Amino acid sequence: MTEKQQQQIFENWIDQHKALLFKVVRAYAFTAMDQDDLFQEITIQVWNSIPGFREESSVTTWLYRISLNTAIKWVKKERKHYQAEAIDDVQHVLQERKVQVDERLVWLYEEIYQLDEIDRSITLLLLDNFSYKEMAGILGITESNVGVKINRIKKYLISKSKKYDHHGI
Amino acid sequence: MEFDEIKKVWDAQNNEPLYVINETTLHNRILSKKKQAHHITNISELLSVVAYSGTGCFILGMNVYKQSGSIFMYILAGWMIISALYLLVSRIRRIQGNRRFDLSMRGDLAHAISMATYQVNLSRLMRWNVLPIGILTGLGVWDGGKSIWGAVGILVFFILANYASGWEHRIYKARKHALEKLQDKLENEDPGDRAPWLQTT
Repeated sequence: MTEKQQQQIFENWIDQHKALLFKVVRAYAFTAMDQDDLFQEITIQVWNSIPGFREESSVTTWLYRISLNTAIKWVKKERKHYQAEAIDDVQHVLQERKVQVDERLVWLYEEIYQLDEIDRSITLLLLDNFSYKEMAGILGITESNVGVKINRIKKYLISKSKKYDHHGI
Repeated sequence: MEFDEIKKVWDAQNNEPLYVINETTLHNRILSKKKQAHHITNISELLSVVAYSGTGCFILGMNVYKQSGSIFMYILAGWMIISALYLLVSRIRRIQGNRRFDLSMRGDLAHAISMATYQVNLSRLMRWNVLPIGILTGLGVWDGGKSIWGAVGILVFFILANYASGWEHRIYKARKHALEKLQDKLENEDPGDRAPWLQTT
């Protein structure tokens, strides 16, 4: 594969699946700088993964696999930028769009962020309609194990949402 | 909200991505990070191999050239060359071992743990290897007719180096422990008391 072909595939994947990458970034990184950093790390891993893609799985599954694996290790490894905006003159790769964001989505991301790294991955896959079998393949665990974790996560999200409704936010 | 409603909230973002990508900056960052592709393990391994073999050969060469080197310096040279060979073999085994892991999250974590274990072992070896090298260097200096205090000074220096390299070792150990905890979370079907958020609901 030539570098030009790799570049074309990369641009195509990023263009078509950027929403997927944004979800992972938002679920694993809190500040703008961290989100920028994680997004870069994921895109580099995506770039590196292109020659190894054999079309045995869909591009979405492949990208989820790469981005979740990267995010989990990034959380454990990287020094986080806890200050919200430390360096103003840095060119950010990710720029937040000025759109009206559903407050319930902001709440949902906050709840996902409270989960541990593994459960965050499972929640993203669950919300994006992956089957137990696909999740088991991405995570490398049994389908029954996936089922146990999903039941627990669903109960958690529903109970949290009831508190959210109760407070009338 | 029921789970179906939560899912509807989630799906809404698919139609309207939350970010815009600055593509020029992204491209530049990828290019610059690709240049830093050599992992830190790679660099520290290669530096150690070069340092050990280079120093070992230099000491051996000097002893042979002068024909008056002490036995301790010959042993030191041999020790350093053996250390370099050991590092080289470990590096080859590490690179060959990289192919054993599947692409799942479990496989990726197992790979990360294997790398962390390697770093822990390497840093432990480097840490304790300082001591025989320090002792042999001190004995070599003393045997060469220098003051005993010079030899003691060298030994103290190496003991401090051993203490300092303990910091690096502990960092690798902590990283490995964090990864093992993650692997445990992933594989364990019944998280029990490891899910504190569950008890608050």
